[in-house]
Amino acid sequence: MSDDGTAADGGSASREGRLPGIVTRDGDRYVRVTRGLELPPRRAALGLLGVILFVAVPDLATLSPLLQLQVVHQGALFGLAAVGLNLLLRHTRLVSFGHAAFFGTGAYAAAILATHFDVTSMLLLLAGATLFGTLMAGVVGYLSLRHTGLYFSLLTLAFGQLLYAVVIGQGYFGSSDGLSVRPGEANQALLFGVEFGSEAYSVIVYYLTVLVVVVGLLVMWRVINSPFGNALDAIGQNRTRARFIGIPVRRYVFAAFVLSGVYGGLAGGMYGLVQQHVRPESTLYFLRSGDILFMAILGGFQTLVGPLVGGIVLVFLQDVGRDVTSYFDALTGVVLVALVFGFPRGIVGSLKRGSPFRERLGRLAADPSLAGTWLRGAGDAAVAAAYRAGENLRILLFGVN
Amino acid sequence: MTQDTPTDEDGGMNRRTMLAATGGTAVAAALAGCSTLLGDSGTQAQADDTDVPDEPIQAGLQTFTEGAAAVLGLQAQYGAELAVQRINDAGGIAGREMQLETVHEADAHIENYTQFVDEGKEVTFGPISSGGHAALAPEVESQGVVNVSTDGTVTTLYEETVDNPTYSFRFQNYDVMECVTAAREAVSRIGAENIDTIAGINPNYAFGQDEWKFFELAMNKLVDGGVESVYEGFPDLGATDMSTHITEINNVEPDVTFSSQWGGDVTTMMNQAAANDMFDNTQLVGTVLYSAVDELERDVVEAAEAVSGSRNWYWDFPNRSRWAPNGDTFSDAREEWDIVPTAHFMSGYGAVTAWATATAKLVDVIGGWPSQDQIARSLEGHGFYTPAGYHVMGTGHQGKSNAFSGRMEWSEDVGAAVLSDVNAYAPQEVSPPEGTTAEEWVNSW
Repeated sequence: MSDDGTAADGGSASREGRLPGIVTRDGDRYVRVTRGLELPPRRAALGLLGVILFVAVPDLATLSPLLQLQVVHQGALFGLAAVGLNLLLRHTRLVSFGHAAFFGTGAYAAAILATHFDVTSMLLLLAGATLFGTLMAGVVGYLSLRHTGLYFSLLTLAFGQLLYAVVIGQGYFGSSDGLSVRPGEANQALLFGVEFGSEAYSVIVYYLTVLVVVVGLLVMWRVINSPFGNALDAIGQNRTRARFIGIPVRRYVFAAFVLSGVYGGLAGGMYGLVQQHVRPESTLYFLRSGDILFMAILGGFQTLVGPLVGGIVLVFLQDVGRDVTSYFDALTGVVLVALVFGFPRGIVGSLKRGSPFRERLGRLAADPSLAGTWLRGAGDAAVAAAYRAGENLRILLFGVN
Repeated sequence: MTQDTPTDEDGGMNRRTMLAATGGTAVAAALAGCSTLLGDSGTQAQADDTDVPDEPIQAGLQTFTEGAAAVLGLQAQYGAELAVQRINDAGGIAGREMQLETVHEADAHIENYTQFVDEGKEVTFGPISSGGHAALAPEVESQGVVNVSTDGTVTTLYEETVDNPTYSFRFQNYDVMECVTAAREAVSRIGAENIDTIAGINPNYAFGQDEWKFFELAMNKLVDGGVESVYEGFPDLGATDMSTHITEINNVEPDVTFSSQWGGDVTTMMNQAAANDMFDNTQLVGTVLYSAVDELERDVVEAAEAVSGSRNWYWDFPNRSRWAPNGDTFSDAREEWDIVPTAHFMSGYGAVTAWATATAKLVDVIGGWPSQDQIARSLEGHGFYTPAGYHVMGTGHQGKSNAFSGRMEWSEDVGAAVLSDVNAYAPQEVSPPEGTTAEEWVNSW
């Protein structure tokens, strides 16, 4: 759903499908974005709307102080890291609790290049961030992927915290005060050597992010719809069988891990450019890893754009939450509980065609009296649950029913 | 220390001298803590020819409103609220009321500031966090709405991070001042000849490491022949167990143990130190131990006899029966929030006062409402009064005022720890001259 929405060239025939446009297959029309990515018109329109909204954020943000460009921007970047994490989560079924390590490595790589080496070019800073994020993923992946399941998760968590501890303890990394990303004479990173004012800077960096995110999603789409992606799915479903049919399991999982590190490092580098100051708590602490994981689940980890949406929604929630209640941390907790019980497929997953939520909405629209039935059902269930709880309590207290 | 209301109805000052001394505006007098002097005629008449907007002044404050750091953060918030209250009671600045919105600073210093600017705030205050302030100050410079920080007292802020600030100011004395104060206190109370060994228990982050570095540096300069550092402990922020550090101090028995811990960490450390008789083996000297005043128990305070700094204000020095501004501020804080106000209360109060008095003066001078640039210019070198005394916002944007320190004792009257035998240090004694870095300065002694 992450198409660029390029102009249609008036229903070209399906054979000449090299360029984006409209193709016809079996009498149905599809919008073709790139090779193999053909969307039904409705989804293409939705995707286009998403991209337009994404691009229009700087203008929308001027309408209300509640919506801040910086907040959406941050959310999109954490979301991008979550898209990378999702490659592991959705396809290989590995849960990493240490993904902030790559995000943080990217952010710190940009900060160190800017602070200690005075690198002023945005693109160089991003390249450095991506490179170091990838290397870090290589090292951590090599050491963690010897294990699966819980042990793998705990190892990633441990490596993440190790990095955090190293950064906190070293003056070179600015310890807890962090490092700024304001190189050179202009006190900011430059794009093609051009210096911008403060507002222009944030908008320019935002559009760079839009570009990076759209390209990142397209690349991810290609990866998961390739034979490699299918092999990862097979590994996720049953490692032993996957090995049995000749898939080099360890190499493939390692490659997926490193690829997700690329996304983390790139997103972290962008984050450094946006914030212009990098601190360990916000980039490396294990709770940040939890956030990134939560974003993927919140948006719907069985979808491609879910983690991105989850990232934006979560950061937005946390920001607005601070203004409306002093219990803003509880807010995310409540959302998580509601999600697990009510919408296990996440935001995007619940809105997808064929999801239980969509199906229920459809039934309700067809017959509004269903609401009463459901409410009664819920009431009955609550009564039954209370009765069972009483019974259990009696057994606990008296040993007999 | 019984507290009587001052018999002198004006605490030894009269309206005319006070107004003259505080810069001539009612706001300045009110914020100096002399609202009692203003009486009914205290509201400031707006000159007819001044071109001042009618709507209230919107101001924003970011501080820690929850979590461990809220021990300091809430004090700063209450202080700022009291200052705003007094401004409005005095009729506002040039007739404009002030409204203060507070947000939790979390880790979102830049976002909070940007949102304040987007909402049209004319001035912002805060933050508490040093790292947050280092991230925020350059952003203030590029967005150009004046921010007067309450704390965020990292030494390198105006030496390296923003070495030529325009819109970013800091009211509270910064780190090097409290370290040098603590070193001078150790030497003057114990005697240089009695100090051979020192140790430190400091929080494990940039602030704690810096504070220890400067204390060590200063002690080596103040004691002939230098001192030996026999132990350096760095417990994490919010650590629940400090016994390893305490045991080690008991083993090496340093003449002075220095601690820059604050808030809940002070309570943890002092309780465990008292339980392990650490105070029999060493003299504890701290920078802001007193920030835990509302939590410390009597027996611990009495066992410790610790020396604590109190940054630029201690609520009972001068004694509040002889200095009405202290008496009023203390009772306001007690009545309204049920706290013993600490130095961080003054951080909030003073940050608002610095901006308000400079702006009020400027309105008088230019006969209209000043721009951000004009306010920033007039804050440089601006002098003003608070109950803490006289403050000067240096040309380098660092506020400087007397630094206070005393011995912690228990007071039955207050039902909490108090500082007795308080010493005040003039800014020149504990901070480098403009344009000199702290490290250069201490090394040059």
